[in-house]
Amino acid sequence: MGVREDQLQGGLSDFLAAKWRPGAQVCDLARIPGGASRETWRLKVHAGEASRGMVVRIDPETSLIDTDRRTEYRAMEAAFKAGLPAPETLFLEEDLRWLGRPFSITAEVTGCQAAPGGIPPEHRDAIGRQKWRLLGKIAALDPLTLGLADVMAATTPATCAMEQLDYWAKVIAADELHPNPVAHAAIRWLRRNPPPPARKLSLVHGDYRTGNFLYSPDGQIKAILDWEMAHIGDPLEDLAWSLDPLWCWNEPERAGGLLPHTEAVRAWEEAAGLEVDPEAFRWWQVFAALKGIGIWISSSEDFHSGASKAPILAIAGWLMTDRQQRILVDYLAPHSRHRFVRVVK
Amino acid sequence: MIPRGPEAIRHLLTRIAQDLIPKAGDAYTATDLGYFTVLLGMIAQDYDRAAEVLVAEHAALEPILREAALHIDDADLEARIAHVLAEKTPSLRVSDLTARSDASLKLLIDLHAAVEDAEAGGADWARTVNDEIWRFLEAHVAAHAYDVAL
Repeated sequence: MGVREDQLQGGLSDFLAAKWRPGAQVCDLARIPGGASRETWRLKVHAGEASRGMVVRIDPETSLIDTDRRTEYRAMEAAFKAGLPAPETLFLEEDLRWLGRPFSITAEVTGCQAAPGGIPPEHRDAIGRQKWRLLGKIAALDPLTLGLADVMAATTPATCAMEQLDYWAKVIAADELHPNPVAHAAIRWLRRNPPPPARKLSLVHGDYRTGNFLYSPDGQIKAILDWEMAHIGDPLEDLAWSLDPLWCWNEPERAGGLLPHTEAVRAWEEAAGLEVDPEAFRWWQVFAALKGIGIWISSSEDFHSGASKAPILAIAGWLMTDRQQRILVDYLAPHSRHRFVRVVK
Repeated sequence: MIPRGPEAIRHLLTRIAQDLIPKAGDAYTATDLGYFTVLLGMIAQDYDRAAEVLVAEHAALEPILREAALHIDDADLEARIAHVLAEKTPSLRVSDLTARSDASLKLLIDLHAAVEDAEAGGADWARTVNDEIWRFLEAHVAAHAYDVAL
């Protein structure tokens, strides 16, 4: 066992003995690949006869997305309580004495995988329908009823789109290592062509895509992950992000590599109780590609500055920026053949 | 002997993929090593093409700047365009070419915004230049695209 594992095992055992059960001892600590936004470890903890699998997410010194851990934790907690498949939240600890950094702990969701290599063909349709139905259910949630107003910025149907645009335009301006004329053209287009007001405000997951949920071997989605960008906003934001061409790069006809786009949208509309407004959706599609560039530029800056040595940040910064720029040029160029644009309704 | 950069880099990534990843002690390390092979593949592509892409891009941008300079009604932009067009060709070091490219692209961002405003005001020349800028951007992203099976 390395020094890092030793420190974590000791610190987590002390913490869980104090907060969970006396005598708790952590074992089988294993770092989970991916999870670039937080250092993520799977562990088993024993206390007398009791035993439980848990997952700890530790704040990084830097990450893909600079987010508030409390927002992530509370959004996941609210989703779990609302009956959505989300990890059960157990502890949020901001006292640095245990691990030297804040962390959160959730129950382990056992026997599942996140499909980094793609969903098995026999499960694609079923998982795809679940994926967009679940996103529709998230869209149907009222963040104020869920008690999230104290951890999420207030907004209005008329202003939520431009507030999101302002946020990501600032991220790009602050973090771009080289001038990105495509991103700046997109920002200007989005400002010149504002969408109609949101039909409603809902809980927005912020990074809902294939790879950010766990599914069981029989093709059931068991846990929606990575809530760190959750906020209050237009539910079309999540839908457009989930349908971004980046998530089906090698199989563009299947949204998220799972379902034809029209079926995905139909499943979402039925569960959300909303109809997609094509004009508003077009704006959110362009925004999704721009937000992607913001995330990838930010990760590239972290890698370049040495703030993080995680190679996934460099891949995101180089490869994903490249692809997201191609998508934006396809969306916006006057002579474009729009090969990335899909009929969604 | 001149080192053959891309081939050498590809040898390294093959060694990591075939010899080191199977010996990784845990899934996290194996995944990280897999990411290294992807990055090395991208670096190999850039090693070979970077200088040519940067030189060709500057050559493609010059006529757009000249055309815009004939019409643009903004003293600051005119001066910046004149400065970029008058600049001496730098060395072929990728760092020097990148510095020139960054300065040109920064100018292009501001010029593009001004051209869009002029087009919105009904200027025919602006529609033509805007179209040329978008064709440049399309070629720009295509030239920098990575061939990666992910």
